[in-house]
Amino acid sequence: MARERNSNDQFTRPIRRILVGGLVLSLFALFLLWRIDSPRVERFRAALVDRVVPSFDWALVPVTKLSGMVQGFQSYNRIYEQNQELRRELLQMKAWKEAALQLEQENAKLLDLNNVRLDPKLTFITGVVLADSGSPFRQSVLLNIGARDGIVDGWATTDGLGLVGRISGVGQNSSRVILLTDSNSRIPVTIQPSGQKAMLFGDNTNSPPIEFLESPELIRPGDRVVSSGDGAVFPPGLLVGQVELGPNRRLRVLLSADYSQLEFLRVLRNQTTAKVENPGGLLIPANQSENTEPVVAETNEADDG
Amino acid sequence: MVDPITARRISYWGLFVLIWLVILLIRVLPVDISAGGWPGPNWTILLAFSWVLRRPNFVPVLLIAIVLLIEDMIFMRPPGLASGLGLIGLEFLRGRAQFSRELPFMFEWGMVATTIFGLMVLHRLLLSIFVITQPSLALDIIYFVITIATYPLIVMISSRLLGVRQAAPGEVDQFGHPI
Repeated sequence: MARERNSNDQFTRPIRRILVGGLVLSLFALFLLWRIDSPRVERFRAALVDRVVPSFDWALVPVTKLSGMVQGFQSYNRIYEQNQELRRELLQMKAWKEAALQLEQENAKLLDLNNVRLDPKLTFITGVVLADSGSPFRQSVLLNIGARDGIVDGWATTDGLGLVGRISGVGQNSSRVILLTDSNSRIPVTIQPSGQKAMLFGDNTNSPPIEFLESPELIRPGDRVVSSGDGAVFPPGLLVGQVELGPNRRLRVLLSADYSQLEFLRVLRNQTTAKVENPGGLLIPANQSENTEPVVAETNEADDG
Repeated sequence: MVDPITARRISYWGLFVLIWLVILLIRVLPVDISAGGWPGPNWTILLAFSWVLRRPNFVPVLLIAIVLLIEDMIFMRPPGLASGLGLIGLEFLRGRAQFSRELPFMFEWGMVATTIFGLMVLHRLLLSIFVITQPSLALDIIYFVITIATYPLIVMISSRLLGVRQAAPGEVDQFGHPI
């Protein structure tokens, strides 16, 4: 190999040029294929990531734990102040707990009076965060549960308190969650108490803006934002966060989920999730659109009222 | 039979993949997932570009293509776009490796910066032609500046610690051919 380099240069150079050109062209062809038939290539991507990233597991877990320990150690420095803070918060929480208990009893009575059956379909699976997207332009995490555990594209994930994101890309042993902060994330939401519908647009910042709002003057900072269930994207009523007024008086959402410490995520099983089967297909498949849409609309109205 | 020069070259291929794997591992660690941080430099591109200007043999096209494509897949980028552009940049610089050897480092730095800038402009152009959501221009510019600012560091590490240096004029390999 070392010998051909110089003497045969004038013969190998054109061949080399053709080979390199072919390689670049095939990469661009893959890009075109992805643009045209994205679901197929994304499935391939999910399978590849599924093969590669969990094999790092042995290294990922100890290093993550170690960095967690370092962070924990740093917080020992101000343990006294934290203790005081916690005591104060505990006192407040006791008052809230009392209020919550009373409300729970009242709620149970009212549910009993109305003969309401809560949705039994909404169970969940908990997964551990394996890896994050690794790129500053993408906000997503990889969970250690996948098709093996019955995960399906489009299901909602929460961190126990607030909505975190949406499953997008399922491998055999892993699945990817596109976070609400990702620039490709678009979530239909309802803003309580005014009950207005809007969209939450991820834009790579920690507090995504609210768009398509009919009358912004009815919204106040501190209003609760919950998922609306429009288009069968998410089950309705999941807590997303609170409205806050960003710079340029733009309405943004302060997310309830703690994005700085995502470790365990709950994936909500939701059988009515709309599926994307065909490239460029609409979010709602043709055969389901007659059935699901009115149902979803009804449940929303029931929720709002 | 493997002659020492080929063995050395293959060991540098291995070293490149090893460094890349370590960086990949660090980048996917789920330490802080919140958005809005500063984007880090593009380590793989910097490493490949700095090596190709010193020892073109240490970064074969096929290896870089595979590495960049896997990166595209794992980092959820449009597959094939950034890797194809990266290869174009790599080959552009490979053709000028001989030329930059005789010039001071500042010139090489400028050349790499221009190449990466050109690739960034092409990338944004292609993304907008194919109507794909792209990050804000400000974020891309910060990314570019950080990447360029890290280049001397990468060059220092790879030439001082890893021994990827330009062949001295008149240096010959085992068979007496100039490198």
